Amino acid sequence: MNPVYFARRVGHAVLVVFIVSLIAFQLGEVIGDPVTAILGLDAPASAREALREQMGLDQPWPVRYLAFIGDALQGEFGMSYRAQRPVADIIVERIPATVELAISALILSLWIGIPLGVVAAIWRESCWASALMTGSVVGVSLPTFVVGIMLIFVFSVQLGMLPSFGRGQTVAIGAWQTGLLTASGLAALIMPAISLAISQVALVARLVRAEMLEVLRMDYIRFARARGIRDRVVHFRHALRNTLLPIITVSGIQIGYLIAFAVVVEQVFQWPGLGTMFLAALTESDIPVITAFLMLIACLFAGINLIVDMLYALADPRVRLAEG
Amino acid sequence: MPKSHSLILAGLALTTVLAQGAFAENLRYAGATAPLTFDPHATNDFVTTAIARQTYESLIELNAKSQLVPGLATQWEYIDNAAWRLTLREGVTFHDGTPMTAEDVSFSIMRQASSPRYKSLFGQITEANVVDATTVDIVTAQPDAVMPVKLSLLFVMSKAWAEANDVVEVPDLGAASSESYSLRHANGTGPMKLELQVPGERTVFVRNDDWWDDFTGNVDRAEYVAITSAPTRLAALLSGEVDLITDVPLQDVVRVEETAGFKVADGPQRLYMGLEMDGTRDVALASFDKNGQPLDSNPFKDVRVRRAIALAIDNEAIVSRVMRGYARPISMPAAPGFQGYAEDLEKDLGVDLEESKRLLAEAGYPDGFRTTLNCPLERYVNTEEICRASASLLARVGIEVTVNGMVWPEFARMLVNGPDSSFHLIGALGNSGDVQDVFGAILHTRDDESGLGQQNWAMWSNTDFDAVFEKLVSTFDPDERAALYREGLRIAQEQQHAIYLHQPFLIWAMADKVDASVRADSAVVLSDVTVGTE
Repeated sequence: MNPVYFARRVGHAVLVVFIVSLIAFQLGEVIGDPVTAILGLDAPASAREALREQMGLDQPWPVRYLAFIGDALQGEFGMSYRAQRPVADIIVERIPATVELAISALILSLWIGIPLGVVAAIWRESCWASALMTGSVVGVSLPTFVVGIMLIFVFSVQLGMLPSFGRGQTVAIGAWQTGLLTASGLAALIMPAISLAISQVALVARLVRAEMLEVLRMDYIRFARARGIRDRVVHFRHALRNTLLPIITVSGIQIGYLIAFAVVVEQVFQWPGLGTMFLAALTESDIPVITAFLMLIACLFAGINLIVDMLYALADPRVRLAEG
Repeated sequence: MPKSHSLILAGLALTTVLAQGAFAENLRYAGATAPLTFDPHATNDFVTTAIARQTYESLIELNAKSQLVPGLATQWEYIDNAAWRLTLREGVTFHDGTPMTAEDVSFSIMRQASSPRYKSLFGQITEANVVDATTVDIVTAQPDAVMPVKLSLLFVMSKAWAEANDVVEVPDLGAASSESYSLRHANGTGPMKLELQVPGERTVFVRNDDWWDDFTGNVDRAEYVAITSAPTRLAALLSGEVDLITDVPLQDVVRVEETAGFKVADGPQRLYMGLEMDGTRDVALASFDKNGQPLDSNPFKDVRVRRAIALAIDNEAIVSRVMRGYARPISMPAAPGFQGYAEDLEKDLGVDLEESKRLLAEAGYPDGFRTTLNCPLERYVNTEEICRASASLLARVGIEVTVNGMVWPEFARMLVNGPDSSFHLIGALGNSGDVQDVFGAILHTRDDESGLGQQNWAMWSNTDFDAVFEKLVSTFDPDERAALYREGLRIAQEQQHAIYLHQPFLIWAMADKVDASVRADSAVVLSDVTVGTE
């Protein structure tokens, strides 16, 4: 691979992360004052000043920012003001919950979305296909928390089948706490995963349908039909396979999206992941946690984009040439 | 550490009914936020304190009626020279089995007094001297008549345990780089021992069979979980996953009451809500005349305008409509449960729009004016609705109010780093819940030097009132004090220091088999909770 191209992409990613870190660093102060959040309204001014000084908050922000970046590069994210614990510890213990939720939602959305898209493409004239596509618009437009609360009231309150909150029992695999190996963990995962997947299902279905329609118009499909190959084989062996490539690319980006936007679902189901952590930090101006979370998400997106760019470059020489 | 997370919930998911029968004396309860730490000196978050209180006890306790009763101290008396003498209870042991000594008490007093979060309550304490095995003297910089009330927030921790676990100092926010041992471990004397604390998620208590006092309830194991989303918290109750929830939204009360097998309990919170008005500035902030030109005066400084606003705002209507009856109208900066509250001073100003308009005209605002009401969007119940209702009530006398809703961190910063507000809604309780503290912190003229009036966000100022306060602080005779409390409250009423709205109620919902009574500090007192077998 062209090293110049590689360097430029990496440079891009670093720039994005840098800009996000600047914004994230300001955010906590835009919405509140950490000293007020910690001490409450009733602290005397002297205690406030003392704490401000002790925490270094009296320094101008560029100084604090540089100190923060210096520490962050060494893997030190400081202490959460609110939880009084190292931010790194909190994030490490919260990552598994969010990742498991996001991946489950992704699998669910592909598992439901791909067949729907195929059906809609193959029988595109039928009323079922248009009903599916209309339904998918509804799926996209339903707010996630509404879906979540509806699910809770049906499956927890009315039917008593699924737990309304939490993650069930978890099992440790090294440092990773997984909920995938216990019955209660799986039961707890069902509704959050569905809520998170539901808007994605529509997206996947629409993408598959569009790609599939494109592919079905290709010459090799026509030739395949002309050779007398059965429809089933044409649809699933020839057409769908060629449709899947862009789907896989999109899925990679989706996973980043799902991790970042699991916030709402996590809040509704009290899912002990990064999202609930982030929302609690926002209400308390817990700058170290807010910053670390946003940086993590920025790195995730930048990383995924970088990988996708690299893969494209490997797969398609024209990308390399165009970018020089 | 494997999280034996929700072993109970696991079973519950499928066998709710069975589970309730099987763990009869197990209480599972949920609230909106999780306890931040189990170090009672390292937090002033009232939810955290209410939960940590099950494990750590205070020297003096509050009973259900918010009266002071003996806790770890059996007697307290003022012995001159700004000192209070405490007689300690004998035969009290910590959860690790060691006896509580005067050394432990002295250590705890100084440890909490050193905490930056307790400067306003205990910053005045200079010494805690051990006199003998059961006597400790607390010495303050100035005589402090309300020290006993404050001591209901002073928690006793074992000194030897703190030394053994390197938590002698309250964890330091600036310098610490690791989690302190006291964050998820505890060694108090209370009715419940801390078995497990998973920060941000759940807390498990077991009954302390060696507790010095009598259990009036039957809970031997309790699990607290945080469920932030209110609909989910309600669902967890209705599906039987938890037995009791705190912080029930007003709109869900009817739903709980109408569901068979569940009930609602409520009780007054130690808090009052009011609209505060700028008492110092010569030009009010964000206020305009009817043509949209900025005012060159501060209408709020004129007591006639303040009275006019009070006469236009119907706090009974706010209580019945906005608060759906779960609040009590008030007419002074105090409410039942506050030490020093004077019930006989309560008077209903009523609503009198004609008189209100007349007063406005007399004050030079015959057409009214426009202003901005700063309104915190969370923290207190239905704040946005209260602000909107106030705005439409004021529109009737020509005062056009724009409601400026703010999230709590933004609102708190505006007050603390300013105060930059001429008109706002706020909940207040003073620091300790004693009216003297309400006077000193909220109504006294702001003075950075002495630290008085630190929470006087409206910068109200009245020299007669300040004089009453100075007298109150140095008076120890109960009868004289009662007279001074009344004098101060009367001035606040006459001068219309604020528009006093209501005292909100705390609302809990629980399964019928649970018996728990709501306390003003919102603590679920586990030693008093009874769980039936249904």
